[in-house]
Amino acid sequence: MTVTGFANFVGTSVLVLWGTVTAASDGALSGQVRVSDPASVVLIVNRDSNDIAFMDIETHKLLGSVFLGKNVNPHMASMSPDGRWVVTGGSSSNKAYIIDVPTLTLVKSIPVDFAPEHLAFSPDGRYYYQGNPAGDSVSVIDMVSMTEIKRIRGFAEPLNITFTPDGTKAYIANYGAHWVGVVDVTRHELLKKIYVGFAPGIASLDPERYLGDIKGISNASISNDGRYLYAADGDLGVVGVIDTREDRLVKKIRVGEDPWRVYMSHDGKYGVVVNNGDETISIIDLGRNEVVATLEAGPEMIGVNFAAGKAFVISSTSGFLYVYDMSRLEPAGRIKIGSNVQIETATTDTADEKIYLASSTDHSVYIIDGRTEAVERVANVGLYPWGTHILDSKDNYCH
Amino acid sequence: MTYSYRRCLGRLLRQLCVGVVAVPMLCPQGQADEPPADRESILRRIEALEQRLRRLEAVEQRVEELESTTVLSEPETRVKQVEVWVDEAGVEHATQEPGTRRVVTYQRERVYRRQTINDKIEAALDDAAARTVQVGVDAAIVLQNVQQTNGSDARADGNTYQLASADLLFTAGLAKYTVFYADVVGLSGTPPDGEVEGLSLLNGYAARLREQNRLELREAWLMTELWSQRLTLVAGRLDLTNYFDGNAAANDETTQFISDALVNNPTLGLSENGAGLAAIFDPRNGFRLKAGYQQSSSTATNLSDSLFYLTEASYEWTPFDLGEGNYRIWYRTDNSSGKDQNAFGISMDQKLSSGLTLFARYGSAESESRRDHFYSGGLQFRADYAYNPEDAWGLGYSYYSLGPGDRERLAEAYYNLRISGKLQFSLILTHVSEDPAGSSKISYVVPGLRLQAGF
Repeated sequence: MTVTGFANFVGTSVLVLWGTVTAASDGALSGQVRVSDPASVVLIVNRDSNDIAFMDIETHKLLGSVFLGKNVNPHMASMSPDGRWVVTGGSSSNKAYIIDVPTLTLVKSIPVDFAPEHLAFSPDGRYYYQGNPAGDSVSVIDMVSMTEIKRIRGFAEPLNITFTPDGTKAYIANYGAHWVGVVDVTRHELLKKIYVGFAPGIASLDPERYLGDIKGISNASISNDGRYLYAADGDLGVVGVIDTREDRLVKKIRVGEDPWRVYMSHDGKYGVVVNNGDETISIIDLGRNEVVATLEAGPEMIGVNFAAGKAFVISSTSGFLYVYDMSRLEPAGRIKIGSNVQIETATTDTADEKIYLASSTDHSVYIIDGRTEAVERVANVGLYPWGTHILDSKDNYCH
Repeated sequence: MTYSYRRCLGRLLRQLCVGVVAVPMLCPQGQADEPPADRESILRRIEALEQRLRRLEAVEQRVEELESTTVLSEPETRVKQVEVWVDEAGVEHATQEPGTRRVVTYQRERVYRRQTINDKIEAALDDAAARTVQVGVDAAIVLQNVQQTNGSDARADGNTYQLASADLLFTAGLAKYTVFYADVVGLSGTPPDGEVEGLSLLNGYAARLREQNRLELREAWLMTELWSQRLTLVAGRLDLTNYFDGNAAANDETTQFISDALVNNPTLGLSENGAGLAAIFDPRNGFRLKAGYQQSSSTATNLSDSLFYLTEASYEWTPFDLGEGNYRIWYRTDNSSGKDQNAFGISMDQKLSSGLTLFARYGSAESESRRDHFYSGGLQFRADYAYNPEDAWGLGYSYYSLGPGDRERLAEAYYNLRISGKLQFSLILTHVSEDPAGSSKISYVVPGLRLQAGF
């Protein structure tokens, strides 16, 4: 074979191989329908078995799972607003994955930047923003062409992404900094950085705290009307209130030590902040933008779900859910999930009745009835379940 | 990534390079007998190959980055707890069927989880830390000056006092929900209380300790949590004021008020730490019940001697959109005077806003003649009311009267500046008025400094 011939051979081979892969994907799309109603399933992100499992919300049976590949380690999954697709980022594979929900097949993997974790869909479902915290970038995936059409750079460990209800802007929380990035969704450009605060002058005497392992903003939580964002900053111990019309900070609310993020109650009245530094929660009255209660909680809190008029605070390593009465703003007991378990994040059904909690070390999902606080375990859902997701749930979040 | 894979990748790259370079040489532009369509076709092919070459270079770059951070190992093997349905013959069934029962078993799973070296190092360090005894240090220097403002000449007038305190703290996890803790304290120097001789101490660091200028065991106890961590039991050498008569704004001489009257209720009556037991029932619904006993005399010869029994009920409440408040009521009996005497008290702290907390205490204790009475109250300011976000300051007042007629009125203000997470500095100003039964009243102003380090 001549050199030219070899080059032709390589090129042809690559094209043929690509065509085969594409054809296989198309073939998969024409497969058997396994999920007819996307609202009828709970997604389970199995970090160590590298798959997304689908559990029937009524029967609690696993309908199937989609294997993403070895060494993928999916972090968070989300359904497109129309329920057609599920997307997830593989934090070890540096790829974004798109799953066809009806047939439970993987249709596309898209190389993105380093360590993709949290993600969000634009409200119209056209774009899927994938945060790449280790790459300090956000990948914009066009759901029509299923390609990365832009990689927005300039962030500092971008964790969570929040779209405005009209879809014109997205707010990127930077855990490696103390600002929230404002992205123009029509041009996919970083427009502005809004700082929620600065370290006090005396901080120069404490370099270990402020120059060491930075704990900035993990999420900008949006009010029900879309008017305000609430961004908790771990190092500064404050929640910054950002006016989304003018994109400016309008208030700083001091909360406890090392706040992780704000979780919005479903009625829009309160925001619950988990403070991992002093193991408390701060309840913010969203009408007054003031802390109205600071209550004892547990260690390593990584999520809050709302159901039946209560807040359920997930204390990861203790194996407890701390329960709070949201009408009286008082503690209402604890629910023990188990001993020697590490519980992760949870989602709540759209009726605000049941919570689906991932428990990584015992490979289970626990279903908690918000009213009765009865707990049901669904075991062997996959290896190291890391999070759950339900279409249109108000409590879809990740670590 | 194996060596053979890299070798193949390198070979492929080399071959493609040769191909890309060779094609233009074999098919130079401008060759007259070359049909234009073929030239375009070749150029397209070259362009496609260049694109693939760039992608392969990106892949190689990514491989190098992965190799530099990834632990090269076999997929991890973990033991997983699994629940299976098994029939009488020991045969596993996928679902529950007649004659099957659910049993828990364990099996190995191969896990394809890529870990970085950082993950491994972090896990090893966490594991090592969990096996060791944790040691902490809490050190303080308190400087106080006494200026007499009223009454006949007192020896404390114009004197300056310095007390250095160092606590060595040891903590070890013995089992799940079981912890051992020990606090060895060394005090050096003189607090003003040796010369002021008030009803309560002006320096709370010396409270419930017997000796100075030597090491003393402040506390040493074993704590375990039962009933899904609803019940906590602590046994050993205790300071029961850590568990009873708590207060969010006035219960810590290291960062809040320094005078003991604004740290604990003196009618609680505990004079020394000692052997004891505390039980705390906390269902996490706002209510807490506590009970305990403690010996409060180092000269006691048996456990029945100088024994204090305490009970407390508390409730966490969020009234009228004010913020959370803690309300406690306690009762104690003790036989330190040779007969059983009782006391009761309340302690409350209520947030008025996110940065403002109101606190108050009241106590009444049986004594030889009439009952002793104590009350205190004040405000603590934080956040928006402080210079730095993590600073705090407070104003407090206490009144203590003993049955025989001795009286003490004390007012104190402090500002606690948090310099860093490990270092705090406080300015303190105290005014105390002692009115002993049968003697003239004496008053003092006591400005002070406190430097507190904890690490």
